[in-house]
Amino acid sequence: MSASNPAAAPTAAMPHLDRATTVLQVRGLHKSFKQRQVLTALDWNVPAGRVVGLLGRNGAGKTTLLRCLLGLSPIDGGAIELFGQPMLEPGGERMHRIGFVPQTFDLFPWMKVRAYLDFTAAFYARWDTALVERLLSDWELDAKQKIGELSQGQRQKLAIVRAIAPDPDLLVLDEPVASLDPQARRAFMGELVALMRAPGKTVIFSTHITADLERADADIALLRDGRIQFTRPLAELRDRMKRVVLQRTGGWPHAPVVAGALKTHVQGELATLLVEDPSIDSLHALAAREDAQVRIETPTLEDLFVELA
Amino acid sequence: MKVCWQLWLQLFRRMPTLVVLSALFAAGAVFFASQWLRGEARMGVPAAMLFVGATWIWHVGQGMNLRGLCVAESFLLPGFRRRLLEYGAVDAAIWVLLPLVLVMLLKLPHVALIACGLLLMTALGLLMGCNPRVGMWVWPMFIVLGWVPALAAQLLRDAVDSTLTPLLMLAVAALLLKLGITPLLRIEDRETGRSPMESTGLERGQLRGAPGEPTRMGIFGKRIGALYDQTSQRAMQRALRAYKSRPDFSRRMVLVRRLLLPHDNPEAIVLRIALVAVFVCFYFFAVMHRQRFQPAIIGAYAVMLSVSRFPQLNLGLTRMRPNMADLYLTLAPETRAEYQKTISDALLVLIPISTLSALVYTSLGAVLVHALDPWHMLLVAAIVAASASMAALALHLIGPEGKSGRTIVNIVVLLGVMAAYWGGYWLVGEFGYLAGGGVLALITLSFGFGAWFAAQREYQQRAPRFDAPII
Repeated sequence: MSASNPAAAPTAAMPHLDRATTVLQVRGLHKSFKQRQVLTALDWNVPAGRVVGLLGRNGAGKTTLLRCLLGLSPIDGGAIELFGQPMLEPGGERMHRIGFVPQTFDLFPWMKVRAYLDFTAAFYARWDTALVERLLSDWELDAKQKIGELSQGQRQKLAIVRAIAPDPDLLVLDEPVASLDPQARRAFMGELVALMRAPGKTVIFSTHITADLERADADIALLRDGRIQFTRPLAELRDRMKRVVLQRTGGWPHAPVVAGALKTHVQGELATLLVEDPSIDSLHALAAREDAQVRIETPTLEDLFVELA
Repeated sequence: MKVCWQLWLQLFRRMPTLVVLSALFAAGAVFFASQWLRGEARMGVPAAMLFVGATWIWHVGQGMNLRGLCVAESFLLPGFRRRLLEYGAVDAAIWVLLPLVLVMLLKLPHVALIACGLLLMTALGLLMGCNPRVGMWVWPMFIVLGWVPALAAQLLRDAVDSTLTPLLMLAVAALLLKLGITPLLRIEDRETGRSPMESTGLERGQLRGAPGEPTRMGIFGKRIGALYDQTSQRAMQRALRAYKSRPDFSRRMVLVRRLLLPHDNPEAIVLRIALVAVFVCFYFFAVMHRQRFQPAIIGAYAVMLSVSRFPQLNLGLTRMRPNMADLYLTLAPETRAEYQKTISDALLVLIPISTLSALVYTSLGAVLVHALDPWHMLLVAAIVAASASMAALALHLIGPEGKSGRTIVNIVVLLGVMAAYWGGYWLVGEFGYLAGGGVLALITLSFGFGAWFAAQREYQQRAPRFDAPII
């Protein structure tokens, strides 16, 4: 027996996020494919200088959202502002400040790696050639190889190199590590953390590998039902979200009611609840009343994702 | 200038043959122009024609290159549109302004006309490269002029003298540029992927896009695509129902065919024939002004049209390789050879389909030109189409995977079809239906069967491949 309370999903943003400069502002975004509504009246603010991990189940619309943000997919309604300017289409000087890694890189298969990077570099005001050379060497990418001959993982590496070489202020990555081996994933996260050391850099990336988000100490944004349900720093989520386990001999005839419970799951003697800002005293009182034992745990991000997404 | 240089390099990297061809035309133009400057008056026309040819080829290449570059992600490059415009200005300076300066230095007449003509040719080339579908609609104008050559010549003479002609050419050039480039600069959601083995009959005038290149279909193309999809779905449902009611080998084979060749079910075949018939009717309508038709050419063209389905097979099977592993596991064959045999047997259905299509197209041609001896055309078409289909299927089943190898195979098949049809037509004409037809059947069908059985044996001996192709 389990029950969720979507209305009670954490929606508040951290106060410090509002104070920061906003890189991205989305208001009432609608997007549908034929009859299927993917994004519904989506609102979202992303402040500068943060790593934001976009979480959502398969088909939640993460890729669509990221492509809409960059103007790569036409929107049906709403407004998007990037660096304070409306994002009607990708253009303007701000494009020098944006890097993007698509989910699958299947472009320009006829180009060689070096030619592709030279071609791309020609457009940018800033291009870190030393970084490119280092990453090509570290990640064992052959500059003379055609893109069409690269494996999916190698293409992903190339897309990452291309995206971070212009030293972007906003880096948007759509499941960048999905095709990478553990070594490459770790190296990529290292580069990402190094990039984030510079002031004012913002990263938005969608992933299912929650350990990477924990490593980057990211803010977590949850996309569900076509909306961003919340954007919160990971530390705050950890602080405020607790897993409450109540054990009662003879089982639970009905699920225990706890203030701030987002999800309740009852199985046999155990009632497991995901609770926001639990009141420890109330929980102990409940346990005493129901003749149960109570245990309060800090859930992992993966646990939170499984419960909330 | 860095961006212009990079954009310019793309054409050399992607289509070197086209660049060489254009350069040869340009070199020829320079040679004839030098002769003309030395006083050989008649050399002026070939010089101009060759330069126009070079311009056209170069810009067809540029259009094709643009098609590949203008994907949604490219618009994230800073100032991508502006850079393209700058590159266009540089290109116009090389191909329009520079020759124009030469024309002015030589004090040639009709400067405005030449300038606008060069611009028009540039725009036409770009349109044909960027948007071949729209490019096809340019030809009807030439076709209509072909009906009335005297009027066309008169129009040309008057146009040369008219002061409005350059303006008209300028307007047409602007329209062609808009039609060619505007769709490329639009950011749209990607169309859903299609099976590489689909055959709608609409692609013959188009260039097959590189993997990753977005498919750009107009409203008509989308509607037709949806119709084909419906036929495929219905055919698959029918095959599934039949297999569930009585699972046997032949019904299982039908299921495999429905999966491998989604557009080779009866409804889709009728739709394809109807579509091709519309194009064929249009073609005959266009060339009606000709007084004489060669039945051998019409028949050969019909057979060529029907076997033009096979080159897709090689490419399609290669691109489908990673997905074929799923089919392999589903079929769960005892041996790898059994699986290979299943695939080759499934593809065998293309031979009767191709032969039937050739017969329908030949009949249509015979009716449209009021052929004196349609049975003669049909008999030869039946024999040649059957044998050519077997040979083409054999060659593409085990043939080379590389682009150059495939092109050579295609040329060999097409030349072989033409030669076989013309030879066969003569043979039947000379020695009658029985003797001539018998000899033709003996030669061509034995060749076709031989090629097919050899290819099938070779294919069955090969290990199935499921690795992703190197593009």
